[in-house]
Amino acid sequence: MRFMEARPDGRAVVYAHIQADPLVQRAADLLATATTTQRLLARAVMNGQSTDPDRWRTMFPTLFGPEAPPPGDSARDRSEAILSASLEVADRGEQTRSQFRGAIVEAMAECLLAQRTGPVHRERRILFDGRPSEIHPYDVTVEREGAAEAWDCKWGARGIKGDVIHQLDDARRGAADEGEKLLVGLVVFDARRSCEVRLVRERGPVALEGLRLIALEGLDRLAGRKPA
Amino acid sequence: MSVTVADLVAQAVAAFGVLAATAEPVGEELQYLVDLETVWGARLRAVAAARGAEPAPRGAEAAIEALGAEAAAISDPHRAIDWMSTLPQVALVALGETA
Repeated sequence: MRFMEARPDGRAVVYAHIQADPLVQRAADLLATATTTQRLLARAVMNGQSTDPDRWRTMFPTLFGPEAPPPGDSARDRSEAILSASLEVADRGEQTRSQFRGAIVEAMAECLLAQRTGPVHRERRILFDGRPSEIHPYDVTVEREGAAEAWDCKWGARGIKGDVIHQLDDARRGAADEGEKLLVGLVVFDARRSCEVRLVRERGPVALEGLRLIALEGLDRLAGRKPA
Repeated sequence: MSVTVADLVAQAVAAFGVLAATAEPVGEELQYLVDLETVWGARLRAVAAARGAEPAPRGAEAAIEALGAEAAAISDPHRAIDWMSTLPQVALVALGETA
């Protein structure tokens, strides 16, 4: 089993510009250390219709209401920073915001994984002896001998599709055939309940036992922490 | 008379129904919509069954009202599907439940 750089195609060239936008890393850094409710705020706003910050503050009384930490408290400041970054993403227009959201989830996953293990890479292919190479790269990989990992990142549960599940499972089995261990999984910035129903419908013949699912409520597990 | 948890769960379920109606034209996702209605409906009803008579937590009434307004403003069916996953979680957090 070996990891390789992905072959750049047209999509990758365009997407690289999105990935390099400072807003992506700013949002990813904020979300990597956020609570579940703060991450839920980001998901709602980035996917929402309204760009009025007060509507969002009203919707999340535990973050911004009278019983929330007061302005100046670090938790409150983080909530405000997440709201601000999320509104910036929402303001980019439908097509662009969709690309930003994907890039943010990938960058956040990279950030969280790097807190637990390494080396962590982005957009890498995994090759196995005697097997045709996959064209599609994995979003985030951990290339650690004896403890390698491959993750695909999705903004929402609807991104969980049969081909994605199959590709991850194929990589896991390819590694096993070579006597190596490869942990494979999905990082989804969406509710676990929604991901589970999607996964069960889309899995086809793939046994789910070998596939990790990290949903919005459990993202800290990527960093080896219990959910905040 | 104060607003109860059951009142707000009913409002959240109604807002969820608005999203489901908006999402309906996406025919290839019909099964997913049904699945979402099943699991999130059950979760919300469980809260109403367990805590329905309790007064709503502070700020929850305004939160659910804002949530309903957001759901009503969504006209794109694909966005509505994504929101069918998000709205129940936001409602649960406002009601003092875990997401």
